Amino acid sequence: MQNGNWRGDVNQQNGISDRHADKNMNKATGTTAEALRLASVRKSYGSTAAVRELDLSVEAGELVALLGPSGCGKTTTLRMVAGFERPDAGSIRIGGAEVSQLPPHKRNLGMVFQNYSLFPHRTVAENIGFGLRMAGVGRAERDTRVQEMLDLIQLQGRAEMYPSKLSGGQQQRVALARSLVVNPKVLLLDEPLGALDKSLRESMQFEIRGMQQRLGITTLLVTHDQEEALSMSDKVAVMSAGRILQIGTPNDIYDRPQSRFVAEFLGTSNIFEGKVAPEGTSVLLPGRDGEIAVPLEMAAQPGSPLVLSVRPERVRLGEHAGEGANFEARVTGAVFRGNYAAYQLDVPSLGRELFVYRQADGPLGAVSHRLGETLTLSWAPRDAVPVSAD
Amino acid sequence: MQAPDQPAAKPAASVIKPWLLTVPAILFLAAFFVLPLIDNGMRSIVGETGGLTAGRYLTLLTDSFYLRVTVATVLLSAGVTLICVVIGYPVAYFLVRKAGRWAGLVIFLLIAPLLTSIIMRTFGWQVLFARRGLVNNFLVDQFGVLSAPLRLANSPEIAIAALVHVLVPFMVLAIATVLQSVDTRLEESAKILGAGRWRTFWEVTLPLSLDGIGTGAILVFMIANGSFVTLVMLGGGLQTLPLMIYQQFNTTRDFGMASAMSTILLVIAVFCLFLQLRLVRRRGA
Repeated sequence: MQNGNWRGDVNQQNGISDRHADKNMNKATGTTAEALRLASVRKSYGSTAAVRELDLSVEAGELVALLGPSGCGKTTTLRMVAGFERPDAGSIRIGGAEVSQLPPHKRNLGMVFQNYSLFPHRTVAENIGFGLRMAGVGRAERDTRVQEMLDLIQLQGRAEMYPSKLSGGQQQRVALARSLVVNPKVLLLDEPLGALDKSLRESMQFEIRGMQQRLGITTLLVTHDQEEALSMSDKVAVMSAGRILQIGTPNDIYDRPQSRFVAEFLGTSNIFEGKVAPEGTSVLLPGRDGEIAVPLEMAAQPGSPLVLSVRPERVRLGEHAGEGANFEARVTGAVFRGNYAAYQLDVPSLGRELFVYRQADGPLGAVSHRLGETLTLSWAPRDAVPVSAD
Repeated sequence: MQAPDQPAAKPAASVIKPWLLTVPAILFLAAFFVLPLIDNGMRSIVGETGGLTAGRYLTLLTDSFYLRVTVATVLLSAGVTLICVVIGYPVAYFLVRKAGRWAGLVIFLLIAPLLTSIIMRTFGWQVLFARRGLVNNFLVDQFGVLSAPLRLANSPEIAIAALVHVLVPFMVLAIATVLQSVDTRLEESAKILGAGRWRTFWEVTLPLSLDGIGTGAILVFMIANGSFVTLVMLGGGLQTLPLMIYQQFNTTRDFGMASAMSTILLVIAVFCLFLQLRLVRRRGA
């Protein structure tokens, strides 16, 4: 409801599109329309499968990120939604209508490419107005809507400039405006921030996310940058080898990874491979002097193999966790990372090293444990997340 | 004491200035290009009696016969250029966008005709279109479409066809080079914004490859303008400037007129080069 109101305001202020207004109504009445649905989509190039049996559902107004390493099929998936690639099998529905056999220009989508792909031979205004001109929108209305967009991206004075005269961030905003002005049913973002400097990238994350939420536009984002995915999306779908391994809110994905791949791809994880103890409430990890029992949060099938993921920032240093896992450890590496300190600790009883991140006391991120220092390392049972082995 | 002196010793090695390396080339060009050009220019303005005269140029630019020859030369080159664009662009597009791993083969096929001597190639056209040549043979004897052989060889049309045959590869390669640099994502951007295939071509691909068409056109126009062998052997009496120059030198033996005509031809070529330079400079900016 709050969202709906917000967008209503934008409509009054900027006169932005009727279609968005319709979408607001939908949202306000509480119907969660499915804006984009991929079902059993497959795509191979020769004998290599790029996408296998992919299912994905994006609700209206949602921003879903496809996150994965290069070659995981995320870009192919996006290009199939765009219509640049035809799926070998499966269905792609946009707003309920099957589009998998439609050419790109009949799908009513918006897309922003990594290198912006602004038409170099057209001015900023002509770039933004291109989609409207293709749709046969008359000159007068086109000019008004281009002007609205220029206001929205705060590039009012640049209308008659050519894209090459703009900075990377400005080109990015023009590309965004060009794809939004046509009121696309779904906005596709292909590594949209990949070409920007790190400092600009963060402010653009906020800007794109802000605009997306204001307009309530359904968005599919492709990225290999976990930070980008976590900070911009309503949901993150982690992909590997042509499949979605896990989809959920950024929080969910980060704190409750279901597989070892997700745990390791998003952030850093300490991975432990063990076997569930006979009583089912702890896991036995192979140690230097035999197996070591580490308590589990929830009971598991006794005797089954189990992989645990423990986030470095969940590990506590110098304190004893009552019923959690407790180990004696020695600091073998300490690094200042700005807003936190990263440690490498050797745990003799496990015969391995662990990573630990700590927000140090005193100056932010200052290293407060010295090399060679021996201390207790511990984590609570709920911070050891069981994950599947692949 | 030693140290400050040392740099002084070094110039001995660099007494040979880099520009000296170009001296042989400069001498060669001066002897065989610049001097003849000056000689040629002089011949065109020195009258029979020894005084200077602009009479030959006046004749060339006002006499309707000579004017017609100049116009015919330019029109022929322009026609050949236009046909080369129309034929060459689709080939260039196919080469860059669709050929994939066959691109090497396509380029070879394009260049292969250029490896044949121009005389041989021209004879080939004659054989094809002669009175009892292959084409007439088929039309008259094999299919009986015609009762008498067509007079195909020795006509401007065949000369144009032969010129296009030679010059199309230059056009294709010039366009392909520029087309190669047009990011396909620009075309995809247009498509996703609602432009169909043709619309995308007109709005994005064609405007962004105009430079290639320009470069190719200037190249083809210049070569066609100076072409001689093809027109002598296939032109069927079509008069162009190079042919006239040849005639003036060898038949009429009016060297002054021939020189004046070559100056005109040279001016057209220099103008083309100037256009090309401007095109390149604009692209660089």
